[in-house]
Amino acid sequence: MTIAVRAVARLLLAPSLVVAVAIMVKGYSDVGDGFSAGVLVALAVSLQYVAYGRRGAEAALPFLALAPLVAGTGLLLALAVGFFPLLGGKPIFTHWPGPGVHPTRIGTLEMLTAVVFDIGVFLLVVGVLVILVHQLADDEPPAP
Amino acid sequence: MNLVFALAAAVLFGAGAYLLLKRDLVRVVVGASLISQSAILTLLASALTRGQAPIHPLHDAPVSDPVVQSLALTALVIGLAVTALLLVVVDRVSHAYHTLTQDDVAASEAARDAVLERIGADPEALTE
Amino acid sequence: MSASWHHAPAWTAVAAAGTAFIASLASWSRGGTAIDIPWAPTLGLRLSFTLDGLGALYCLLASGIGVVVFGYGACYLPLHLEHERESPGAQWRFWPWMALFMAAMMGLALAQDLVLLFVLFDVTAVCSYFLIGFDRDRREARVAALMALVVTGVSAVAVLIAAVLLYTERGTTSIPALLAHSGGGTTMTVAAVLLAVGALAKSAQVPLHFWLPRAMAAPTPVSAYLHSAAMVAAGVLVVGRVHPLLARSQAVLDGLLAVGLASILVGGALALAKDELKQVLAHSTISQYGYVLVLYGIGGPAGAGAAAFYVMTHGIAKSALFMTAGTVTMATGEDRLSRVGGLRKEMPLLATASGVAAATLAALPLTLGFFKDELFFKAALEAAWPMRLAAVGAAALTFAYIGRFWMGLFLGTRRVTAHPVPRLLVVPIAVLAAVALLGGVFVEPFARVAADAARVTHGSVVVLAPAYHLDARPENIMAVAAWALGGLALVVPRVWRSTVRTLATVGDRLGPRRGYTAALTAVDHLSGVLHRLEVRDLRNSVAAVLVPGGVLAALGFAATPTAGAYEIGRIAPGDDLMVVALLALVVIAALAVAAARAHLHLVLAVSVVGFALAAVYAFLGAPDVALVAVVVDTVTSLVFVAAIARLPRDVLDRGGAPPAPPSGRRWRDVLVGAIGGLALFGAIWGFLSRPSLDQGIAAEHIRLAPQAHGQAVVTVILADFRGLDTLAEITVLAVAVVGVATLLRRGRLW
Repeated sequence: MTIAVRAVARLLLAPSLVVAVAIMVKGYSDVGDGFSAGVLVALAVSLQYVAYGRRGAEAALPFLALAPLVAGTGLLLALAVGFFPLLGGKPIFTHWPGPGVHPTRIGTLEMLTAVVFDIGVFLLVVGVLVILVHQLADDEPPAP
Repeated sequence: MNLVFALAAAVLFGAGAYLLLKRDLVRVVVGASLISQSAILTLLASALTRGQAPIHPLHDAPVSDPVVQSLALTALVIGLAVTALLLVVVDRVSHAYHTLTQDDVAASEAARDAVLERIGADPEALTE
Repeated sequence: MSASWHHAPAWTAVAAAGTAFIASLASWSRGGTAIDIPWAPTLGLRLSFTLDGLGALYCLLASGIGVVVFGYGACYLPLHLEHERESPGAQWRFWPWMALFMAAMMGLALAQDLVLLFVLFDVTAVCSYFLIGFDRDRREARVAALMALVVTGVSAVAVLIAAVLLYTERGTTSIPALLAHSGGGTTMTVAAVLLAVGALAKSAQVPLHFWLPRAMAAPTPVSAYLHSAAMVAAGVLVVGRVHPLLARSQAVLDGLLAVGLASILVGGALALAKDELKQVLAHSTISQYGYVLVLYGIGGPAGAGAAAFYVMTHGIAKSALFMTAGTVTMATGEDRLSRVGGLRKEMPLLATASGVAAATLAALPLTLGFFKDELFFKAALEAAWPMRLAAVGAAALTFAYIGRFWMGLFLGTRRVTAHPVPRLLVVPIAVLAAVALLGGVFVEPFARVAADAARVTHGSVVVLAPAYHLDARPENIMAVAAWALGGLALVVPRVWRSTVRTLATVGDRLGPRRGYTAALTAVDHLSGVLHRLEVRDLRNSVAAVLVPGGVLAALGFAATPTAGAYEIGRIAPGDDLMVVALLALVVIAALAVAAARAHLHLVLAVSVVGFALAAVYAFLGAPDVALVAVVVDTVTSLVFVAAIARLPRDVLDRGGAPPAPPSGRRWRDVLVGAIGGLALFGAIWGFLSRPSLDQGIAAEHIRLAPQAHGQAVVTVILADFRGLDTLAEITVLAVAVVGVATLLRRGRLW
């Protein structure tokens, strides 16, 4: 039983990331946005914790220790997108390209600052929830 | 539909309120979470229009109110944050006082306050 | 060098007082000035100060006596600090409060708005708290300061309530505007009574007089300033300013009369009984302000003029007498009448100066005080017959107790040696005595100030012409009778000594001060009870919100018409039926949560609630919300399980199925939950049945979404239209996780 869970957990990690990215990118024209994408990835990570325990998961995925950095980056990104227009004298959250202007496209993807904002939200949610799981998954009880 | 929504929200709130009065701290947190869910349900029930999802909306068919949905989404995520924080507080309290019931926590606090009062203030300083 | 540095604040205060005096005098002789600045325009509040006659009187009094007393204090305070073994730097703690007090007093004199009056009232109360409690190491001083603050502060609220009442009735709190309206009514009378109560407490009148004797724990300069000329004068200032309002109801005037007479009696009797110097003077102040209230109670031009003149004269005389007491204590080290005596040989200047001051208070000729009693008798003659007897009796009482004071200090056998004191402790008293003598000869300028003040009080021109008349007019007869009676009382003290002593003991046992102490103890006790009942137990706090909320909702339901207010709503076939079914599942799951026995059941039921709600959202045409609800519910369930797994083993074993609470308590919880749910049901159903008539911004957002290059309107709203909300929300997430880290790992995030 545990073996099955472990195998599934290991297999689910990468696809969940892909799905999350897809949700985010499609967010502007279909269901989903940064939150759901972020929580999805966090759920996949917590499945690792459930299957392998704290030490196993963190040994297998050392980049999880970057979670605070990821969360901070996401917050800063979101703040930047929101407040950067102030420097140009425009009100906050003035996205580029403005209404009526055609956004540049790379393939089927559109370059919108709103999507960058969503990416910031995504990073923050992932970072925050991974930190939360890490804090709660501690084996030893903390000093009272 | 109004009646059904009101009934469901009221039952959620009532159950949450009942749990808030329990002695077990974990149940108190669950009660708070239920009340939050009741509020989000009410929020979505108060949408002015109901119909298809507001994605690629057609302009002759009714479309569900998107503003209410964005508010509900925000509320859900904040509810998650608050519940997580509350549970960690309960965890710390249970480790510090070695109990999960409010009565015992209150009793330890009262005992500690009584000790502090005996050491500290002079109760006659107020009047002559 | 350091000593002189510490003298700086005192002399600055003296300079400030001097400047204020000259400025007031100049402004008054020029006819007055006015400042009017808008303060809270929407409420119609203005910072309006006008130097009219009444304002000029109190400003001159406050600043003039201020110069003299501050000079006295500059010399007295260092000696006092040395005596109390405190550092001379404490002077920096003293003079700012004195200066602020003088400023507040002058502002009070000039204020023309009731709310402004209230604010300045409280400023004076706060200053007096710090000044009375200046010797803060002495418990006596602290208790006295608190008593003064509580009594004057709490009764100042009466002034505020009166201001609010008048505002609701007339739409303004500006005093000239209020007085211009004629006409009475219950509201006006109630407001008048409240104003009178606030003023009475400030002027230490019966029954709120008990704080003044206790306030004698203050250093002498404080008593000489606050408790003779400034703070207690603030009360009668208010009475003088709103007198036209009070005069509309004869009952209020009679009340003032009664309180004044009671204060004269109580103050005078206790002044005869007390032994400590400052206590005698404190009770004398109570009695003298009783005179002023009697005069305001009599009303009319004569009463108003006499009252203004009285305040002025009393301030000069009482200040001098307080300073005398301070100097005597500094010289001999004794503060009781029974322990001093016969100081006239060693301190001749002091004896003469304080003799003049005492004579002023006793209304002897050639002093300003003679005219104060002349005007008093003249006003009493206009009132009913008993008033004349009462007036003579009151004057006799004053003569008796002030005679006892002065004679006890300077005549008789010498009981203690007097050390020499600095000149500056005697000269201010001589200055005030000189002013009183000057007024005894050239009374005209003083009468002019008082007449100007009375003009404001009475509303029309008042003519005061005090003068020496060497004929048998009624005032002279009353004056002579008063002196005779007073002299008699001084010569034969045995007649009244025991009566007065019993009165003092009775007052102590049953007096209003007991009430004050009892009230404070009761409030403290109540606070303890409430704390145990409401704050200590979270559940009582919760129930205290839910039950009254439910009751109020029920009352609202009963009071509003319900026909047509509630609509069941349309249930469209298809999707809506699914929603109804899922909501039924939600209800069942919620009840299961409430009834769950073990923690695991609890978590499972909560997750069922969450997922069922997510399905409901999907059928309501909210797929984004449904998606987020599903994933959030999953995370929530995980967090619950993790938290429960972390609980200490012994707690878990005990707490999983808690011992069933007594069934009475369980039914109470069910009842409270039911009340809350029922109230909310009524509220939400009513709210949902009345959708708003205008479209709201939903249609606007749907229309604008394509311009924002998006087709999923909810995402566009979150990332673009309402991006700030989203930013705040993710900040909440970040803060929550920092909180979790602080609680679990002392702040380390990873």
